[in-house]
Amino acid sequence: MWVYEKRLEYPVKIANTNPKLAKIIITQYGGPDGELGASLRYLSQRYSMPYPELKAILTDIGTEELAHLEMIGAIVYQLTKNLTPEEIKQAGFQDYFVDHTTGVYPNSASGVPYNALSMQVKGDTITDLHENMAAEQKARTTYDNILRFCDDPDVKDPIKFLREREIVHYQRFGEALRIATDKLDSKNFYAFNPSFDRKTMQKNK
Amino acid sequence: MKERQTMNNAGKLLREISEYEFLILELHIYLNSHPYDEKIAKTLDEYSTKVQKLVKEYEEKFGPIMQTSMKANRWAWIANPWPWENEEA
Repeated sequence: MWVYEKRLEYPVKIANTNPKLAKIIITQYGGPDGELGASLRYLSQRYSMPYPELKAILTDIGTEELAHLEMIGAIVYQLTKNLTPEEIKQAGFQDYFVDHTTGVYPNSASGVPYNALSMQVKGDTITDLHENMAAEQKARTTYDNILRFCDDPDVKDPIKFLREREIVHYQRFGEALRIATDKLDSKNFYAFNPSFDRKTMQKNK
Repeated sequence: MKERQTMNNAGKLLREISEYEFLILELHIYLNSHPYDEKIAKTLDEYSTKVQKLVKEYEEKFGPIMQTSMKANRWAWIANPWPWENEEA
């Protein structure tokens, strides 16, 4: 189960509002490669993982992604605090505002609500770990793209932290893949699906 | 004025706790794929011992960080600021 700690994983202290930037950064809240998708993907995949190391890795990284989701929410919240209608209009923020005011809603930057189609739980050990490695790279690229539009050091700082974490997670999933393949037949990793065929594997022993 | 000072002290202590907790998280996840790395496991335990003292100090002065905190001050849990709010803004 989950326990909440009343603190952010990494500080978010943004002095100046910027709804234009908020509109972009919200994509890491509800977009295809964002933290909501990441946490849901890993926390869902762990049920069909065959080895305890993998269950641990997916649980812990999935949990950390929830902390990242919170950070993105905090960034968007601080970037849109106390806005005037003029500021909203000038930033092209009306489209979001009309549906959500300055609430934090899981949208992509282009206004598409979070869609679970952007993630997969294939129920195959090797496949799911590759999905996760790709997911971390997609998230890293998204943060790279966000940083291109970030002049404010208050925003750059937590975004850079989040980007670094994606790279570390990518590393961890690479190790997870290694753990999985080490337990399989090196002559044929695809002989069976350890997420499903365990009973068959045990019968043939 | 005094309230701001208190908030600054709380912020400083919480920041120190967060730094340790981050290190602990990082090492914890690392140990999931390297469970036999005794050196790292020992380092994690050292950080854990250190941070427990800081958490105790924080919670005695400023209120609970978690719902499982001992002797949780009910109002302190509910009270602002919440983590996404920038009290310095």
